[in-house]
Amino acid sequence: MSDAPDFRELVGEDLPPEEAERLQRVHEMLVAAGPPPELPPHLQEPVEPEKARDNVSFLPRRRTGLLLGLAAAIALTAFLGGFISGERHGSPFNEVAQVPMHGTTAASNASAVLYVGKRDSAGNWPLKVDVKNLAKLPKGEYYEMFISRGANARAASCGTFRAAGTTEGLRLNAPFSLRGVTGWVVTLERPGSGRHPVVLTT
Amino acid sequence: MPAVAADECTDGELISRSAEGDRDAFEVLYRRYSRPVFGLALRRLGDRGRAEDAVQETFASIWRAARSYKPERGPGAPWLYAVARNAITDRGRARAEPPTEVPEQASSEPGPPERAESSWTAWRVHRALEELSSNERTVIELAYWSGLSQSEIAEFLNIPLGTVKTRTRAALQRLSGLLEEELG
Repeated sequence: MSDAPDFRELVGEDLPPEEAERLQRVHEMLVAAGPPPELPPHLQEPVEPEKARDNVSFLPRRRTGLLLGLAAAIALTAFLGGFISGERHGSPFNEVAQVPMHGTTAASNASAVLYVGKRDSAGNWPLKVDVKNLAKLPKGEYYEMFISRGANARAASCGTFRAAGTTEGLRLNAPFSLRGVTGWVVTLERPGSGRHPVVLTT
Repeated sequence: MPAVAADECTDGELISRSAEGDRDAFEVLYRRYSRPVFGLALRRLGDRGRAEDAVQETFASIWRAARSYKPERGPGAPWLYAVARNAITDRGRARAEPPTEVPEQASSEPGPPERAESSWTAWRVHRALEELSSNERTVIELAYWSGLSQSEIAEFLNIPLGTVKTRTRAALQRLSGLLEEELG
């Protein structure tokens, strides 16, 4: 795997050969295993295990699917005649869904709320993002929002932004179908690095 | 004899205590294994939502089936892996997609034995990561899966480069102890 870190950079050159060999094998196992996934917030704590005795799921069930949620929200919006509006933020934004995001190891204190707006006639899904505790970036670096489809975490870009701490009302856009979307991620982009660490995920 | 704190128990002891209705033991098991279960489910099902369901079903199965665990037959990790694998397989069957057309060329993807081996490795590694201190786990995750160099990690965490190197080496050494069985 080309993205694997250099083992010698990690442990240095001063280890006894046996120890180096042992740690090298751990290194290879880490590379082979790949990253442990981030648990979504609703799976972070177990609750009420006794209920499982009665064959009842004991963790909150969220899975209605993003699309179902979006569809329901869109239907509600249509029913209300597009009355749910983002006017309170100064410009029109017909919100049809809210998606909470949480920080990964790379930004453990960060969080965000992504608002999905009503699709326009040209096929654009306007997005609005409120972020908290994202690090201020050096010049030239930026954050990028992606939709995820299955195992492809960066299936399509919804645009780039910069932020420092708490930044509200960032405007992005998803100019494509949201069919099959399984999540959203925000990556930290350093031009030329070829690396895309995920800092926020759903 | 004083009761051993759940945090200090082996996986097998936690399963046995869960079988007796010990919620603390079950919660420690959950903390140790929820990410490995989620990782395994994501690998097998390729869908985040179904994987989330599989996590719930796996732990429901563990709670219900804990009495069937026999410590004399082996440690807890393989038993938990088997329970998780079965729950995930059930979840896969329950929502199986219609069969697609037969491909004309043989797939270069790993076959079942290789996938099983790689899933087991990931299971053990992800489980071992849960035993690291938060500081150690962070540097490992940033180095291996966020693509940051040691200097970039130091800058990112605002700590000296030497501290990053010390933590990384200590984490690898700790993992080496935790994965002793696999390392032979």
